[in-house]
Amino acid sequence: MAEEQVTPATETAALVSAGPISQWLTSQGFGHDSLDRDHQGVEVLKVEREFLLPVATALYAYGFNYLRCQGGIDLGPGEDLVSFYYLTKLADNAEQPEEVALKVQVPRHDPRLPTLYWLWKTADWQERETYDLYGIVYEGHPDLKRILMPEDWVGWPMRKDYITPDFYELQDAY
Amino acid sequence: MTLIETRTEPMVINMGPHHPSMHGVLRLIVTLDGENVIDCEPVLGYLHRSMEKIAENRTVVQYLPYVTRWDYLATMFTEAITVNAPEKLADVAVPRRARYIRVIMLELSRIASHLLWLGPFLADVGAQTPFFYIFREREMVYDLFEAATGMRMMHNYFRVGGVAADLPYGWVDKCEDFCTYFLPKVDEYEKLITNNPIFRKRVQGVGTLSREDAINWGMSGPMLRASGVNWDLRRVDHYEVYDDFDWAVQWHTDGDCFARYLVRIGEMRESCKIIQQALKGLPGGPYENLEAKRMGGGPKSEWNTFDYQFTGKKSAPNFKIPKGEHYVRVEAPKGELGIYVLGDDSPFPWRWKIRPPGFINLQVLPQLVRGMKVADIMAILGSIDVIMGEVDR
Repeated sequence: MAEEQVTPATETAALVSAGPISQWLTSQGFGHDSLDRDHQGVEVLKVEREFLLPVATALYAYGFNYLRCQGGIDLGPGEDLVSFYYLTKLADNAEQPEEVALKVQVPRHDPRLPTLYWLWKTADWQERETYDLYGIVYEGHPDLKRILMPEDWVGWPMRKDYITPDFYELQDAY
Repeated sequence: MTLIETRTEPMVINMGPHHPSMHGVLRLIVTLDGENVIDCEPVLGYLHRSMEKIAENRTVVQYLPYVTRWDYLATMFTEAITVNAPEKLADVAVPRRARYIRVIMLELSRIASHLLWLGPFLADVGAQTPFFYIFREREMVYDLFEAATGMRMMHNYFRVGGVAADLPYGWVDKCEDFCTYFLPKVDEYEKLITNNPIFRKRVQGVGTLSREDAINWGMSGPMLRASGVNWDLRRVDHYEVYDDFDWAVQWHTDGDCFARYLVRIGEMRESCKIIQQALKGLPGGPYENLEAKRMGGGPKSEWNTFDYQFTGKKSAPNFKIPKGEHYVRVEAPKGELGIYVLGDDSPFPWRWKIRPPGFINLQVLPQLVRGMKVADIMAILGSIDVIMGEVDR
């Protein structure tokens, strides 16, 4: 398929100027990289999996009390997998509160990273779903098992190199 | 030492996936000690179609007919978010008239969704009558949808840059009639339900969720607002034209099933108010008038300008999703419906992540039912308002 030859460019980290959240994290000594802001202008931070827990804890203490979306990305067949987190500050009568996105890149042959369940309970099912569809293992998750696919399913369906078993086009079904 | 003769071992029972009050195909494995719930584990996936995988080789227009099958009771919202994600990524301008039509359709859809929550919820706690009343009103909303879009439920009405067609002749009048009819009907529901002692006993103080827990569990929509958080994305994000209207965010501090009921009833009233204001302020007015003004004004008429169109530049069937990523969301009746889209300058999105409100809100169910009675499971599950089509996708 045509789209598989193009890998999305998310790794041009070097020349991006750091936003306020990134600067705060740096001032507190939490290692990370700034990626390009996303299209809504939200800061995207790239975090190594070893530092995910300290960085996330720092952001939680900084006021990001709401994990609004967690999911996985496959950068392409043979490439790394990404676990992303969109955080925001939820408050009464908020007016476009601060947001930040975290991205953790893990190698395909060893996709492990710590769970954020113990900070934001909402990560529970979202991480299970990412595990189910991408095979990213969240270490320390209380109940990491398949959630949407049948529990005896083999393979990780949302990966780009996944081949659907017994798939045929309907027009070939003679 | 005395033994209590009626003591029994905990019992594990299975509810669903085809339980009559299971709101679709949801299975609960419940551990009971007599009548008390010790634990509960939801089992999902019976309706899983991998909508995210399907999106990866569909263009936006090809994908639109699928999305109404996520949350099939609030179909306009799934379409809205599906066009919003690529549209905002490509910075497509949307005419003002199209935005107004979108808001009207979205709020009608919210009313339809809350109505079809109200009926089954009341049926869950033992009152059958409202079920028939809500269908009477819901049919009218669906008649309006049918007149404007051609379909009652699976509309396929939103397009990148606007909507698929302008409102038909007489639709604005019909919709105004519906609003004047509907507002007293909400009062009627309230008279019938709100102070009913049986209903109050079944829902008050049941399934209480604290403000801190609601935020930590990522709740959104009425679940969050009933727990005392004044957070409505229509106010927070200022999307579409909601700032033009005078309406109030509905929220309560009790956090129980009754508070969620009150929030949703209040939201139906507010939606109705928004629709009435949007119909009055619709740029260009009803289509029959707009058409006449256009014909009277000739080809140079001001009524032909951008803001009076139902769609901007018509998007190509192979509309390219530009390189880039973002997370967009709308306030759906169930909560925050979001899409994370990662484009790579191809008609197909590289990654299309759906953040379904029902899926996230359902997570908290085990915590809410622990320590309650078996009969409360139905009341609590009903008050969460899940649609399995969007939970499993």
